[in-house]
Amino acid sequence: MDDRTRATLADLALAGLTFSGAAVLLVGAASLPPPRFEPLGSAALPRILGSILFLFAAIIAITAIRRASNGKPAPTAKATVPKADPKRGALVLAALIIYAFMLDVLRVPFLVATPLFVTATGLSIGARSWRNLAAFAVLGLILAGGISVVLERFLYVRIG
Amino acid sequence: MIDAFLLLFAPTNLLFLFIGTSLGIVVGAIPGLTATMLIALTLPLTFNMEPVSAVTLLIGEYVGGISGGLIMAILLRMPGTPASIVTTFDGYPMAQSGRAERALALGIMASVVGGIISWGFLAGMSPALARFALKFGPWEYFTLVLMALVMLAVLSQGSIVKGLLGAALGMAFALPGIDNSIGQARLTFGSDAMLSGFGLLPVLIGAFAISQILRDSATPQNIGKMELPKRHLPIYRRDIAYAPGLLRGSVIGTWIGLLPGIGGNIAALVSYSTEKQISREPEKFGTGHEPGVIAAESANNAAIGGALIPLITMGIPGSVTEAILIGALTIHNLQPGPLLFQNAPEIAYGIIAAYLVANVLMLMLMWGLVRYIAQIVRLPRSGLMAGILVFCVTGSYAVNSSFTDVWVMIGFGVIGLGLEYCRVPLGPFVIGFVLSPIAEEQLRASLMMSDGDFTEILYRPYALVFLALAALTVAWPAIARRIGARGALRKDIP
Repeated sequence: MDDRTRATLADLALAGLTFSGAAVLLVGAASLPPPRFEPLGSAALPRILGSILFLFAAIIAITAIRRASNGKPAPTAKATVPKADPKRGALVLAALIIYAFMLDVLRVPFLVATPLFVTATGLSIGARSWRNLAAFAVLGLILAGGISVVLERFLYVRIG
Repeated sequence: MIDAFLLLFAPTNLLFLFIGTSLGIVVGAIPGLTATMLIALTLPLTFNMEPVSAVTLLIGEYVGGISGGLIMAILLRMPGTPASIVTTFDGYPMAQSGRAERALALGIMASVVGGIISWGFLAGMSPALARFALKFGPWEYFTLVLMALVMLAVLSQGSIVKGLLGAALGMAFALPGIDNSIGQARLTFGSDAMLSGFGLLPVLIGAFAISQILRDSATPQNIGKMELPKRHLPIYRRDIAYAPGLLRGSVIGTWIGLLPGIGGNIAALVSYSTEKQISREPEKFGTGHEPGVIAAESANNAAIGGALIPLITMGIPGSVTEAILIGALTIHNLQPGPLLFQNAPEIAYGIIAAYLVANVLMLMLMWGLVRYIAQIVRLPRSGLMAGILVFCVTGSYAVNSSFTDVWVMIGFGVIGLGLEYCRVPLGPFVIGFVLSPIAEEQLRASLMMSDGDFTEILYRPYALVFLALAALTVAWPAIARRIGARGALRKDIP
């Protein structure tokens, strides 16, 4: 897939999501009561923003379709980051979601979950070796201990 | 002002300013990490602090974060912050030709002088501007916020429509929760968790820190050959000849910093271009010319002082960093704006005093430790990112001791990444989120005062000026294109 097609698809997806967001705003605004104590009411801004989002989504969609049919290059297609490996980003995101899930739902102690998370994230981004694994585990343990102390002693917050 | 300085020199406040400036320099020196990210991450730690201590810590981080960027810009051609991009033009060639120490010395000096000159504007203009802003009513405030948002959206890089879309999306995400005007739930769709809306801090950390780490973790970073400073940093008596350039850069930086949406990077670029245009040796720029480093560094640092002026006098953030500073003040029950000078003068003047002292501290720290700070780039990036992610999670959680905020942060991280992929700028998105409640509150107050009559705005000259400026900002690209086309047509006619 070339940069132009990718940019066009990204714009169409953006327009689609913006349309959906605008629809949510307008549907939500419709269920709000009419103004009673002041002229504008709480539904006014959602309605205004919903309409604006519809307009922008339409402009972006039309521009993307015209660009695709005219064969014009995407205006900032060259800004794409070279040699990016989306898999690494996806792995880090997955690790982050699992970390939050462990702390929130599974109630895994912070001192256990954090070294696991730091090790998983570090190995997802950096070189995978036994030495790094040990280094990240130690780093995670130090971070977890330090943060726990700061949160509990100074902010009176307990995590995990 | 003297009281503010006395308060600032209390050991605790001075310590926080020192910590903030040091942290800022270190983070600013690391390519990929920004002052904005640092301020967002340390904001939860300020909850239990005295407001003055919190503000001094954050101002120190801001000044250090922008200044620290020059180290890697000069030594590695990898600007630590976007504001230091222009510094690479002449700083890196100087380092490559064995003049790294000289480039660093000039960069640090220019940063400090830029900071001090913009402090002069900040200290001189702010109280007067705040008194003037007291004349503003809800119509003026609403149009001022609208103008700031429109300018920020239009002047962001890329498409105007996407800039405006970013601002509108940010505003839309600020809508759910209890409508404070009537005390009724809005757009919560029956969810109790949504009653308090999306928290500022999880949104900021998600949109900026998480999205940036997800993006950076996908991109390999190759550290090139670095010329470490070996000797002391040289400054000579003859450098006084650079004073006019320093002054020009500082004034340009301050005035550009005043405008919403135009950050230190644009200030540095405008200052650099101006210096090149008026120079007798323009061909030397870009080859390791000393005035190039001075122009860039004086302007990008001065832009901070400029941006602080509308922040403390009118509560208008010029960039995301200022939006976070507004959040910090709000957390401490302080409303930035003209009344800040009356209600909390120790904070208003404290910000001004902290900005000056942070610049002096930055000079001392960078002058003495630049050689060691430069080694930071050798830290393993993977460990650094994993550590920052842990701080993001704990920082978001600590706000309300709630994992909902952590999920909101992750959600906004994904949204931020998606928006950047679609080339929707994040600045207008975040500032739209911050300014939306203010804009709505002021518009509703205006209409209550005028019994729903929109034509009342016609009798408000300042409001009309702000509206006209917003309209001109949107229309300007088209006007400029038309003027350019006419000029080209005239040239073609024999």
